[in-house]
Amino acid sequence: MGWRRLIITVLVIVPILWLLAFGFTRDARYITSPLLAKEAAPFTITLFDGGQLRLSDLRGKAVFLNFWASWCVPCRAEAKDLEAAWQSLKEKNVVFVGVAIQDKDKDSRAFLEEFNVTYPNGWDESGKIAVDYGVWGIPESFFIDPQGRITYKHVGGIRAAMVKAKLEEAARGIVSAKEGKEDYQPIR
Amino acid sequence: MLGRLFVIYLLLVNPLPAATAPDIDEQTQNIAKELRCVVCQNLSVADSPSEMAQQMRGVVREQLQAGKTPQEIKDFFVSKYGDWVLLAPKTQGFSLLVWLLPFVVLVVGIALAFWLVRRWSAKKTKIVASSIDSDLLTRVRNEVAIGKAIDVDPEDSSLGAQLEQDRARLYAELKELEFDFQAGKLAESDYAALKVEIESKAAAVLRQIDSLLPPQPAVERRLSREKKLAAETNKKTYRRWQLAAGGSFLLIFGLTLGMLLTHSLRPRESAQDSITGDFLTGTGASESARFLQEGKSAFAKQDWPRAIEGFKRALAADPNQPEAHAYMGFILIQAGHADGALMAFDKALGLAPNLPMALWGKGMTLYQGKKDYAAAKELFEKLLQIMPVGAERVEVERILAEMPQSGQKPRQQGDKASPATPASQQITGKITIDPKLKASPDNQAVLFIIARPAGAAKGPPLAVKKIDRPVFPLSYSLGQENVMMQGASFTGSVAVTARLDKDGNPTTRQPGDLTGDYKKGSVAVGSKNIDIVLDQVVR
Repeated sequence: MGWRRLIITVLVIVPILWLLAFGFTRDARYITSPLLAKEAAPFTITLFDGGQLRLSDLRGKAVFLNFWASWCVPCRAEAKDLEAAWQSLKEKNVVFVGVAIQDKDKDSRAFLEEFNVTYPNGWDESGKIAVDYGVWGIPESFFIDPQGRITYKHVGGIRAAMVKAKLEEAARGIVSAKEGKEDYQPIR
Repeated sequence: MLGRLFVIYLLLVNPLPAATAPDIDEQTQNIAKELRCVVCQNLSVADSPSEMAQQMRGVVREQLQAGKTPQEIKDFFVSKYGDWVLLAPKTQGFSLLVWLLPFVVLVVGIALAFWLVRRWSAKKTKIVASSIDSDLLTRVRNEVAIGKAIDVDPEDSSLGAQLEQDRARLYAELKELEFDFQAGKLAESDYAALKVEIESKAAAVLRQIDSLLPPQPAVERRLSREKKLAAETNKKTYRRWQLAAGGSFLLIFGLTLGMLLTHSLRPRESAQDSITGDFLTGTGASESARFLQEGKSAFAKQDWPRAIEGFKRALAADPNQPEAHAYMGFILIQAGHADGALMAFDKALGLAPNLPMALWGKGMTLYQGKKDYAAAKELFEKLLQIMPVGAERVEVERILAEMPQSGQKPRQQGDKASPATPASQQITGKITIDPKLKASPDNQAVLFIIARPAGAAKGPPLAVKKIDRPVFPLSYSLGQENVMMQGASFTGSVAVTARLDKDGNPTTRQPGDLTGDYKKGSVAVGSKNIDIVLDQVVR
């Protein structure tokens, strides 16, 4: 009788404690993306240099797509690294695309100038591209394989070594099992 | 034909309502109410004032105008953000559980409550019944069943006669009850409860009558009474223990739960910190973070002794706490110890190279305290790279603009050199570790290169250079910027030594520290190739 009661009590209490622990330990802001291994949403963006970039034109190349804002501290921290990665990879079959979101045109341009960013960057004024990619924190980076499929997503600042490694995987069409996470800032 | 004309007329008079603007607004609002704002917590896209929610409302509106149905629009957002984006989870798959579980719990709860009440009332009836001797109850039932005649003398006022009257009355009541039940006047549950009650009363009367009868043999009676008494005492004691144990358990459980719950929550430490669980969930603020917080509060109130205490305790709990080192640096500046402050900022930057407050603190100490503009400029430039637009950034930019060019120094401070010290005022060379020393250097060790005036083996050094985590062979230069005493100049003949210090404290020597000196003795400032081999181990 005593054992039976004990087992019943444990069976009732353990799930409740598990639920509590689960609720307390998970990052309530974190949204796991359903986009891994899915086709990257097509978009056309006007670049800061006046040109136009269409994602569909980049088929056949591995694409590194980075969402950023000039007011975002982790974006500033990664900016130099990204430019360095671009400089070392630009001769290969890869393209870097930067998308400024929730920012002012003037501030974005100042940011690009400050960090001497040379890869194509544009401004997503309406936020439609950000919604299309399920962006919720910045910086957020997406790696797209030559067939136009998202192979990896990274929320937060990213290092040059990681960019290179994940672009290599993207070039070979290898989809990561999980997305990456570093210091990020929620968008506004 | 007429019918067709009538239809055309009706269409002209009452044109079909087009998707007018107010409709779109209303529909947008309705869909937005069902979507979760991705940057808020538990706010719908309709209710959130955030820029992201505005943009999401824009997307909803645009898709409505493009002719998409509300379901298609919701599916679109789900495809981008997952089911999470729906404020009301789907009624299929795993999410169905969220809908069903409350009802299941409710039904199970009601069933459990019902079962417990039933069990409790059944137990009570049983207890009433079992407190009466079952033999006596059987006797009552038998006597009622056979309609036993009971002699009652209404004139007799003795106790025995009174009891017999009660017995006869109760037997009559039992018969009446049976009759009423058979006639269908009573519910089964009422009948059972009343029957037990009257039978118990009758059995109690029988027991009293029996007690009036000639006594049983004394020994037998005493034994039976003692047995009963012992059983009752045992039962009472057991019951008391049960109550005490239950009460204690509830008290301890309540206290523990109260304590754990109050400790399982903590305030958010930053905007990104959405986890508010504490030690219960293993996500609590560490001891060091707690002391750091105490130190910060005291620092904000300019209560320096308490702030120092807080930061010291934070560092005792976690020596790798960069913020505590940085705050210590600020306190040391307040106290006028620029060198100590620089050491503290260096430690902070060694642990977190981009810590803005440490960059700022070290920069300001070098700028204002040491007049080392080149080094300060480098730090402020690094700080600017990670600083977002705002008043603080403007301040750093202003300082940078006002700063004299590197190498330029005020005349009155001419004794302090910038890194642009001319080679003629420097000593340069290489430091290596003697390969014969098998002890490998500690990764965290700090190298001190020390220059003392020639002939002064003890006493304060003239200049010291500190290098965190050195990599050997290491090229060094020692110049005016490394001079310890204000007003002193790096000239003349000096003896150069080096020490690889395990704990990074320049004032202590610990077993295992490696030392070495320039073998050819004193050298003049301006000498080159003053190579030192670390070849001695402090015992």
